[in-house]
Amino acid sequence: MILLRLISWPYARKHLLRILLTIAGIVLGVGVFVGMHTANQSVLAAFRSTIDRIAGQTQLQISAGEPGFDEDVLDRVQNVPEVRAAAPVIEATVSTDKGNVLILGVDMLGDRNLRSYDLEGADESIDDPLVFLAQPDSLIVTKTFAAARDLRINSRIPMRTMDGDRVFVVRGIMKPGGLASAFGGNIAIMDIYAAQKIFGRGRKFDRIDVALRDGVTLDEGIAELRAAVGPGFQIEPPSSRGPEFEATSRIYELGSNITSVFALFIGMFIIYNTFAIAVTQRRAEIGILRALGATRGQIRTLFLSESAMTGIAGTLAGIGFGVLMARVMTGYIGGLLEEVYGVAQSAAAIEVAPWIVGAAIAMGLITSLIAGLIPARAAAMVDPVKALQKGSYLSPGEGENRSRRKWAMACAVLSILALMLNRYTPVFYGGYLLAVMAAVLLAPSLSLQVSRWLRPVLKGIRPVEGGLAADSLIQGPRRTSGTVAALMLSLALVISLGGLARSSYRSISEWMRIALNPDLFVTTAESATARSFVFPASLAAGLRGIEGVAEVQLVRSVRVLVKNVPVMLVATDIESLARRARLPAIEGDGDQMYRRAAAGEGVIVSENYARLHGARYGETIEIPAPEGTLRLPVAGIVRDFSDQQGSILLSRDVFIRYWHDDAVNIFRIYLKPGASEAAVRQRILDAYGTRRRLFVLTNGDLRNYVMRITDQWFGLTYIQIAVAVLVAVLGIVNALTVSIIDRRRELGVLRAVGGMRRQIRHTVWMEAIGIGAIGLVLGLALGAAQLYYTIEIARRDLIGIDIGYAYPFTMALALVPVILSAAYLAALAPGESAVRGSLVEALEYE
Amino acid sequence: MNNRWRARRLASAALLVAAMAQAQDARQIVEEAQKRSESASQRYEGILQVIGAENRIATKRWVFERLGSFGRSKALLRFTAPPEVKGVALLIMNHPDRASDQWMWRPAIGREQRIALQDRSTRFFGTDFSFEDLEERDVNQFDYKLLPDEGGQWKIESRPRKPSQYSYSYLWIDKSKYTIRKAEMYNKSGLVRVIDYRDFAQVRGIWTARTTEVLDVKRKSRTILKFDKLEYDIPLKEDLFTVEALRRES
Repeated sequence: MILLRLISWPYARKHLLRILLTIAGIVLGVGVFVGMHTANQSVLAAFRSTIDRIAGQTQLQISAGEPGFDEDVLDRVQNVPEVRAAAPVIEATVSTDKGNVLILGVDMLGDRNLRSYDLEGADESIDDPLVFLAQPDSLIVTKTFAAARDLRINSRIPMRTMDGDRVFVVRGIMKPGGLASAFGGNIAIMDIYAAQKIFGRGRKFDRIDVALRDGVTLDEGIAELRAAVGPGFQIEPPSSRGPEFEATSRIYELGSNITSVFALFIGMFIIYNTFAIAVTQRRAEIGILRALGATRGQIRTLFLSESAMTGIAGTLAGIGFGVLMARVMTGYIGGLLEEVYGVAQSAAAIEVAPWIVGAAIAMGLITSLIAGLIPARAAAMVDPVKALQKGSYLSPGEGENRSRRKWAMACAVLSILALMLNRYTPVFYGGYLLAVMAAVLLAPSLSLQVSRWLRPVLKGIRPVEGGLAADSLIQGPRRTSGTVAALMLSLALVISLGGLARSSYRSISEWMRIALNPDLFVTTAESATARSFVFPASLAAGLRGIEGVAEVQLVRSVRVLVKNVPVMLVATDIESLARRARLPAIEGDGDQMYRRAAAGEGVIVSENYARLHGARYGETIEIPAPEGTLRLPVAGIVRDFSDQQGSILLSRDVFIRYWHDDAVNIFRIYLKPGASEAAVRQRILDAYGTRRRLFVLTNGDLRNYVMRITDQWFGLTYIQIAVAVLVAVLGIVNALTVSIIDRRRELGVLRAVGGMRRQIRHTVWMEAIGIGAIGLVLGLALGAAQLYYTIEIARRDLIGIDIGYAYPFTMALALVPVILSAAYLAALAPGESAVRGSLVEALEYE
Repeated sequence: MNNRWRARRLASAALLVAAMAQAQDARQIVEEAQKRSESASQRYEGILQVIGAENRIATKRWVFERLGSFGRSKALLRFTAPPEVKGVALLIMNHPDRASDQWMWRPAIGREQRIALQDRSTRFFGTDFSFEDLEERDVNQFDYKLLPDEGGQWKIESRPRKPSQYSYSYLWIDKSKYTIRKAEMYNKSGLVRVIDYRDFAQVRGIWTARTTEVLDVKRKSRTILKFDKLEYDIPLKEDLFTVEALRRES
């Protein structure tokens, strides 16, 4: 402690800028980790709170996936003696000019037993309950919703419904709090039977909310309800809802974890670099301490403590930075929920969970201690006599390099072996880590080699300055290798993320070319993924009769829970689909799979469903349905990007039989040869557009929509790329600042022997550009390997789809000027510092 | 000793007989009240005023028709005003041995809805009546106990034998006309509703309250129902009181 106060603290104060640059990596690494997890947790907590608010006193919810179930199930549930109250619910999202709104269709008679509607104004919960029930245009809105739209009791809200454009009347305004604060107040209440009509649901409910009698346990209640409704229903507490959101956010969590680990890894190299140089710079100080009786252990502890302090400072700053990041990211993640739930979820409060803080501290501390280990050991090994002599000690011995190369080879061999056994997840990830370790261990040797290749190039540009810069790189590999390693890792991360995006876009484009080939799509919403409204199947006949229409495919896509995981079920005319938009088989016979699925003898699953849910070709899948459990074998596996959690394609006839639902989400329309897309679109709108809620998207519209969704998904990837580039630039700035400080005497000598300021500036700039170039060469090379691992991780653990390897050459080319310019800009201040300082002080340095 | 023992036994037996006689009396009183109000059918036009805690008054009108009586009756209540609620109807099928079946009809939605048993305790369309209060339960569906008279009226405690939102009720019955003048309904938490019957008049020999006032004790709101154009024993068709008729007549 005394040593820290007397030795370390004055040194830190003197080199404050260097310390700040050193901790930047840790700040970023910890910040990304804390930010992403906190944002996720906050949105998830808000989502759970929303579910609780909507659930009210509901103890159990009975559902059968998105298709819902027949009304008669309610009678069966209400007749269960253990049930105190059972109320049906329909949920639907409706877009308004100020964002989406969740409409909750409830039976106002029974629902009061479960939910409290605390309304404005009167003692009465609704202005006139009889009018509310008698008029299907009645709506209860929240005060927040009303205030945002300047609505009052009896205000009118236009809405496009399945019955055409309708005007709804506000007949109640809920006070803030409880149910009214769900989804930030973007919630409205409607009579359930009116909702059935408006959303085209027929005589179906989405779910039944149940409260049990006093003394009945949840397990008893579930058992009795299960016996009453049959096996095709999910019966679970409201808190169990949200696996879909959790699955969605999990992908982001894993992605950000990788970025975070990389940033920490990079931070580790920056710390290592700084401390390695500090040990060299402070060897005289170490020598004096040793001469005064300090033991090797004390010296080691001193440097490790400094490293730990750096780590703690970086961690604390990182947590603060993470909280700021979380504030920005909650909006982004909340928006993702809109994809899943229809309504954006904003987090009311950002709270950093204790485990996140604990993990962040552990990460920051461990990273900094590992980074400080080798410099601390080197400091402890300093010979006091040699330490008091002046001179350069920067070059690692050839023995040290040889040893690193041996370790690197060992890591590389092991990582190749791990690739061969990559079906075991820990082996695969271990192999990935070993591959990165191999690259890192090889970095000094490789950077030395690239420096040698660069020497003639730099000399060719400017003989004196180029030569000096190249020599500095060659003679001070310890000074540059840490930076190069950090830069290499950053660029590898950038390449892998960019490559992932490029591969994904390429695969999605190919999928769209095959699967989304109809000329027109008739949907119930502007976005093709909204499923609140549905069409009656009878509309197909009308569409077929429109001039220019050759073929109409009816598609019903609904999310159902299979093994408690939300999966997209796509029911359509398989025979027609096979003829028009046959996806290539990954497993199974292309002709046979479609034939069997069309005959209702099997299902076709997407590659990601098979991968993420462990389904194999030929294996029987069990899907709970209101009619009972549907058991069908996997007739084939195809590459399909319809849904993140995977999709199951089945015959429409089978779906109607098991779900008693013949509604349609989308009509896929193929035109007759020569028919005009615009003309047919207009004919459809003329025929139906004014009578009902109906949108006609052209093929281009839908493709643009899919690409927009894809862009949204990759939004975070671009943030990660920005973080990686930032870390890379920070690494260069750090290295140069440290390098200039370290070489003050050398540069002073240069000036003393007649070196012009311009020449010294150019030397520093060229050295910086050299570091950038070495980092680029190694980073772009390591990026190729890193991209392979990233795509493999995406395939195994994230999206379950093999998107194929596509190196992002354009991005790699774009990185060249970016990094070289960043290196040049990073060198400006150190370059000035090198020529502005006092020559006497510079010569006396050390 | 024996005499004293015999006297004690006799006294106990006398008390038991007296208690049984008292219970019998309470039941007989209610039975008599029910008997005196019995009619083959009933029709009236109701004027309903709901007076909220802030003295805001909402007025509605309905037509009520009943065929049969007590435990075996069928009733149809159809709103006639204001225009927003016109056509909304409630069909009640009373049963002697169990709770009634009830269906609501909403013409704007064009469909009937069964009122679940568990929802019978909820308020009847914003009034201070509950759906259960609209049932006509037979005398045999309750246990009775005669309590000391109050204000010259019998006070009877009535406890439902079948599931009900109420744990027990007190009834005040006029000794001369055998008409129920007041009822207080209690649940586990205490007093829930108070119903006052007033403006009695004889219609076809039946003493009938022309005004009924319900007080929701917790919400402190009142509903006043006035009976207009009251008729008994009029010809009503059986097929008017079916779910199909609800749809047909809307």
